[in-house]
Amino acid sequence: MSFPETILKIEEVNFSYNDYQKTLSNINFSVSRGELLGIIGPNGSGKTTLLKIISGILKPGKGNIFLLGENLNKFSIKKISKFISVVPQDTWISFNFKAKEVVFMGRIPYISRIKGETVEDYRISREAMVKTQSLPLSEKNIQKISGGERQRVFIAKALTQTPQLLLLDEFTSHLDLNYKYEMLNLLKKALKEEGLTIISVFHDLNLASIASHRLLLLNEGKIQKIGTPQEVLNEENLQKAYGVKPILINHPDLKVPQVIM
Amino acid sequence: MKFSINKPPKVIAGYTNWRKKLILMLLMGSLGILGVSLVCLNFGVVSIHPKEILSLVWNSSSGKTNSLIIWQLRIPRITMAILAGAALSTVGGAFQGILRNPLADPYILGVSAGAALGACIGIALQYSTGYYLASYLPLFAFTGAMFSLYLVYMSSKISYTLASTGLLLAGVAINFLFSALITVLLALSKRELHSMIFWLMGDLSTANWNKITIITIPVIVGCLFLFSSSLDLNALSLGEEEALHLGVNTGKLRIRIFIIGSIIIASVVSFTGLIGFVGLVVPHIARLLVGPDHRVMLPTSALFGAIFLILCDTFARIIIAPTEIPIGAVTAIVGAPLFIYLLQRRNV
Repeated sequence: MSFPETILKIEEVNFSYNDYQKTLSNINFSVSRGELLGIIGPNGSGKTTLLKIISGILKPGKGNIFLLGENLNKFSIKKISKFISVVPQDTWISFNFKAKEVVFMGRIPYISRIKGETVEDYRISREAMVKTQSLPLSEKNIQKISGGERQRVFIAKALTQTPQLLLLDEFTSHLDLNYKYEMLNLLKKALKEEGLTIISVFHDLNLASIASHRLLLLNEGKIQKIGTPQEVLNEENLQKAYGVKPILINHPDLKVPQVIM
Repeated sequence: MKFSINKPPKVIAGYTNWRKKLILMLLMGSLGILGVSLVCLNFGVVSIHPKEILSLVWNSSSGKTNSLIIWQLRIPRITMAILAGAALSTVGGAFQGILRNPLADPYILGVSAGAALGACIGIALQYSTGYYLASYLPLFAFTGAMFSLYLVYMSSKISYTLASTGLLLAGVAINFLFSALITVLLALSKRELHSMIFWLMGDLSTANWNKITIITIPVIVGCLFLFSSSLDLNALSLGEEEALHLGVNTGKLRIRIFIIGSIIIASVVSFTGLIGFVGLVVPHIARLLVGPDHRVMLPTSALFGAIFLILCDTFARIIIAPTEIPIGAVTAIVGAPLFIYLLQRRNV
C-alpha cells in the first residue's frame, strides 16, 4: 500500500519535563494521508507525551513538527483544532452534560461566537453518533454512563470535529469485544473513504498489529523501531523493549504477528 | 450539502434548541423579578396601601412622603438587590466553570477578603482619626479588592501547575492571609466592632441611586462578557486538555474570567458588604433546572440570583422589624438548608 501525501512530519523532536531526564529524544518520522500508525512501547516510554506534542498541547524543546507542510509553531490552538482531534484515555467531566451535548462540543472550533451554530453542525454531530452507535446514549448523563460508553461518546465527539488527523490514546481500553470490532471497522472505513489519518497509542499489541499499517515502537523515549507489524513485532525487538521473551504466532486470517503468553 | 436550498430542515431530531430554553428563562425570570419586586415593595416600617404603591410606581408625584419612601428607599434597595444577586450568581457560576469545582463561589479567589480588609481598615481609620469616612468606605473596599486580585494573579503565575489548581490555591492562600488580618483588626477594635461585623455580613440598607449608577455599568458589561464566554466554559467542563483540543486557550480564558469576575464582585461588595451563599447556591439551582450548558445556565443564574436576593432582603427587613438583621445571615440561613437538600437530591 502506498500513501502519496504526507500529513505529518516530525523532525528531530526532543522533549523533557524537567532538567534531569529526557522524555523523548531524536524522534523522526512522518505519516501519510489514509494511514494508521500505531504507537506501542512499555509504560513510561513516552507514548502519551508524543501524542501531546503532536496535538500542540506540549511544545517540543527542540525539533520541528510539520502539519500539511507547515510548521506547527505557526498554528494557533484554534487552527490546530480544525485539523487534529483527540480521543483521550478517560477524562473527568465536571458537570452533568448529556452525551449528545458532549458530542456536539466537537463543533466548538467551527461555531461563530456571534452567529451561533447551524443545522449543518447538528447534522454532523448526529451522524457521528449514528456511526459510533452512541445515539441511544444521547439523553444520558455523561458522568453516569460506563467507561466504554463514554469512550464511544468521545470517539463520536472527535469525529464531529471533522479532523484530518485523529489521535487516539488507548481508545479501546474500556470497550467490549463487539465495540472494539465495530470501532476498528468504522475507523478503517474513515481512513479509506474520508481520507482520515490516524495515530493511535495501543496497549494491546495484538490489536495494534491487526489495526495498524505501520507500528512505531518507543523505548525509553527513543524510537526503537518503526515499520510494518511484521518488521516491528519480532522476538528481538520485543525482548529488548519489554524485557520478556514473547511467543509469536501468525494470525490465521490476517497474516500479521500475534503475541501470546 | 445534502439539503436543498428551498427547504432546509430547521430541526435535527434529538437536539433541543438552547435558544428557546434561554428565551423562556429570560421571559419567566424577568416576570418573576417584576412580580417579586412589586410584592416586596409592600413591606416596610411604614405601611402603604398596595393601590397607592402601584399608582406611585407609575407616576412618581414628587414631594409626598410616601413617594419618597417608595422612590428613594424601597425601589433603590430592591434595585441594588437585583444587581447584587445577579452579579454574585453569574460570577459564582462562571468561577465554578473555570475552576471545574462545584464548591467554588465568587469569594473563593480572594477578592472579597481584600474588599473586607479594605473596608475594615476604613472603619478603623474613621474611629481612630475622627474623620468621617463612611462615604469613602466603598473606595477603601474596592482598593483592597484590587490589591488582592493583583496578589492572587501574581502568585498563581508563580505556581507550576498548568490547571485551575494554581489559581484556586493562590486564592485560598490570600483569603486566609486577609482573613487573619481582619481578625487582628476585629480583636483590636472597640466601638467600631459593630460597624465592621455588619459590613462583613452584608447590608443593603444604604442603597441609593448614586451607588446604583456606579455599579450598574461594571455589573452589566461584565456579566455580558461572562455570558459571551459560555461556549468556552462548556469546553472546559470536559477537562483542561480536551478544551485545548477544541481550540480554547484555557489559560487566557481562566485569567480573563478571573479578572472580570473579580472586578464585578469588587464593585458590588464595595457597596453591599459580603453577602454570602447566593453565588454558591443559585448556580446549582439553575443547573438543576436548565442543565449545565453555560449559555443558558449563566443568564438563568443571574435572574434567579436577583429574585433570591430580593426575597432574602425583604426577610431581613421584616422578620424582627423594625430591627434589621444582616442580609448575609439570611442568605445563609435560607441557602444552607436549600443547598443540603439539593446535595441530597442529586450529586451536584
